[in-house]
Amino acid sequence: MRILIIEDEKDLSKSIVTYLKRENYLCDTADQVSTGMEKMEDFDYDCIVLDISLPDGNGFQILKELKANNRTDGVIVISARDSLDDRIEGLNLGADDYLPKPFHLSELNARIAAIIRRKRFQGSNILTVKDLTIDLIGKVVMVNDRSLELTRKEFDLLLYLVSNKNRVISKNAIAENISGERGEYYESFDFIYSHMKNLKKKLAGAGCEDYIKSVYGMGYRFVV
Amino acid sequence: MRLLQKTVRRYIVYSVFILAVAIPVFYLVIKQVIREDADEHLQAIKAAVKPRIEKAMSDHTIGRLYFADQDIVLSAYHKTPLFETLTDEDLYDTVSRETVPYRVLSANFIIDGSPYLLQIRNSMLDSEDLIETIVKVQIVLLLLLLSGLLVINRNLSKSIWRPFYSTLDKLRNYKVEQHRSLELTMSSVNEFDDLNRSLEELAGRAHQAYRMQKEFTENAAHEMQTPLSILKSKVELLMQTSSISEEQAELIGEMADASQRMGKLNQSLILLTRIENLQFTETESISLKEVIEKAVVLFQPQWEESQLRVRCDYKEDIFREANRPLLEILVNNLFGNAIRHNIKGGRIGIVLSGNRLVIQNTGRPSELDTGQIFRRFHKESNHVNSIGLGLAVVKQIGNLYGWGVSYAYREGGGFNRNDVDGVRKDGECREGLHTFSVLFS
Repeated sequence: MRILIIEDEKDLSKSIVTYLKRENYLCDTADQVSTGMEKMEDFDYDCIVLDISLPDGNGFQILKELKANNRTDGVIVISARDSLDDRIEGLNLGADDYLPKPFHLSELNARIAAIIRRKRFQGSNILTVKDLTIDLIGKVVMVNDRSLELTRKEFDLLLYLVSNKNRVISKNAIAENISGERGEYYESFDFIYSHMKNLKKKLAGAGCEDYIKSVYGMGYRFVV
Repeated sequence: MRLLQKTVRRYIVYSVFILAVAIPVFYLVIKQVIREDADEHLQAIKAAVKPRIEKAMSDHTIGRLYFADQDIVLSAYHKTPLFETLTDEDLYDTVSRETVPYRVLSANFIIDGSPYLLQIRNSMLDSEDLIETIVKVQIVLLLLLLSGLLVINRNLSKSIWRPFYSTLDKLRNYKVEQHRSLELTMSSVNEFDDLNRSLEELAGRAHQAYRMQKEFTENAAHEMQTPLSILKSKVELLMQTSSISEEQAELIGEMADASQRMGKLNQSLILLTRIENLQFTETESISLKEVIEKAVVLFQPQWEESQLRVRCDYKEDIFREANRPLLEILVNNLFGNAIRHNIKGGRIGIVLSGNRLVIQNTGRPSELDTGQIFRRFHKESNHVNSIGLGLAVVKQIGNLYGWGVSYAYREGGGFNRNDVDGVRKDGECREGLHTFSVLFS
């Protein structure tokens, strides 16, 4: 799978590439609208990570170009301007998702994975990891063909962990994922622990192997 | 005291003083003048009468001397002769049946060795009337003059000071954060024009300073975003590296927390400047109830974790024309605050009625400093995740829409006085009830 990252901050795009390469994505980078356009002409991308403010123009130009050519490349807009207008305009111009900077790489990764899944598997969208089967449309989790009763939050949390399997996911990233964008209000990480505890308990109850490991000082890792 | 009152008061005091002194003095002076006049008149009569008396003396016809004027009386006088005197006497007038003031000249004559007294009287009645009338007219005139002066002075002052009051009014309504400049109307008075020009300059400089400071915050926050994004991503990548020791892991975790906090801080600062810059122009009619319900669900993990009970009482829904994200931030910040500063097993009460949203929470038994809590970076607690901007944002949003945000505190945990629910069994752990209300005007 091929991903294009259009971002003028070299260090940031390098980080994104480093993180995504581990998922076996092929990553191209561009740091301007013009070079981005050139790359887009050469390949169809599964997903484009698009920054809005670029030195020679505006990321929206690229969205318009894609729309004009009826391209189906998934687009996730990342914008440093924590601006609602960017989000609304981006989504109106056909972007699939919007992620305000600064973001967690694990969050970006999960969102890219979701976009790619949506593009690839229209209709049925099932994710299988070892003995776990996650039906993304029906929002059902099966362990060895037995369905698991998960709350909405637990389901999202499991999906987030699975999307970033074998990675250390920081507590902050998890907290932000659970409480949405208004993650600033969490008083402590206690609520993550209890959510995680419940999820692990339910998985273990269904006879699922213990994939969720806590990583000392940093966060959690879904190990397979 | 107003300037006008101050000058007018001085005028009144001075005028009353002058009146009080001038009227008696005037009265006495007039009276003296008239008396002197009367005395001269009496002397003149005496001089006219004297030859007749002397003639009668030489003719020895004094007994038959007759004066047509009743006011001239010559009578035998038994006492030793006196000097000529002038006296005031009140005599009874049988015709008009009243006591009438007279001026009396008494003179002695020795006729044939026996003393005689000559008395010449002059009625002062008409003169008294004259003085009275003159003084009355004088008082009326003075009063007219005084009141006229007051009225003229008042009106004149009003018109002269009008530009000053207009300047004052404009100055009072001027806000340095507003985008329009201070425009004062020029008057015909040089002093006021000078004042206005200086004020306009001052306001201009203040606005400039304010703008520069705001731009700095804005730029700093914006420019910080990129390195912060890079930092966050590098920390995350660092977490993925192999063979991290426990010591390193702890350091990395703390770095991640710090960068997270910095990100939130930055976002809030950007939000504040965006509100100040009036960049949230899109508005729609929003149901407060809907926003609250959303917030309660959004924060469920947090308030459940602290074992809080949330009670919502929607007496009536409130609809307001506002920017949706801003209204959500307002409610979320207040609700998030109520969770953060709560106590384990505490309660949160939300009441929506009339045009008021009230969010109450149990918390520490000490009143917050009302003058401070809405200020930026003021922290009541040392919570790691509290950045001290939440209430500043709430206040700013309130200011934007003209909504009043207020805080109140009451000891004890009951939401109302009959609420025994909140009274804790162990008397030691007391709690306070913190109330934030938003008045949607």
